[in-house]
Amino acid sequence: MLFFRSEELVRKWCETHGHPMRPLAGMDQLWALATTWYSTRLQENSRRPQPDEMREIFAGFGLDGDFWDPRSDSFG
Amino acid sequence: MESDLQVKLAVYRHFAETGQAPAPEDIAERVGSDERSVVDAYGRLSALRMLVLEEDGSSIRMASPFSGVPTQHVVESDGVRYFANCAWDALGVLAALRRPGTVHSRCEGSGEPLNLEVGVDGPGPSEWLFYCLVPAARWWDDIVFT
Repeated sequence: MLFFRSEELVRKWCETHGHPMRPLAGMDQLWALATTWYSTRLQENSRRPQPDEMREIFAGFGLDGDFWDPRSDSFG
Repeated sequence: MESDLQVKLAVYRHFAETGQAPAPEDIAERVGSDERSVVDAYGRLSALRMLVLEEDGSSIRMASPFSGVPTQHVVESDGVRYFANCAWDALGVLAALRRPGTVHSRCEGSGEPLNLEVGVDGPGPSEWLFYCLVPAARWWDDIVFT
């Protein structure tokens, strides 16, 4: 899970390394993920999202599709 | 187990206070237990994917969002320097701390440094992007690679 300066740099990096292009997220979406997963991590009532709810959480932040679904079998 | 919860909290709070992975004796002292019991708890927490351990079974590689080893994702907040496991976790460190700070990393494509100021409500407007190679269904096949 990496940072990139632009989509063009992602494409070039993927071509160079033989990796597939994947859905990209902006910093606002990444912050939403970070707070959803970690904002209670130092507390006794800490709770992390479970696999059966993750697809909906991702979709709520505009990250749709099987790529973000931990129960998907679309990727072998 | 209740004691496992206390061990987990002690691990995360040690990371939050120091930026470093705790040794089992650090946690034993915090929770009023012994090192053997702490290492046993590490094993159970690892099975629940709450910790990722090194092969020795007693050194912590990951207590997400914190990394027990140096990485390219460095977070500074309130005078403490943290290592994060990945881009997501770099912001996650500040989300967990609930403090402002700075994320230092790089563009993987160009090497351009990233120095992202993050407030308690998140980063300001930014054109930087987050790329995840591994689909969610495969993240735990090799969580360190992910």
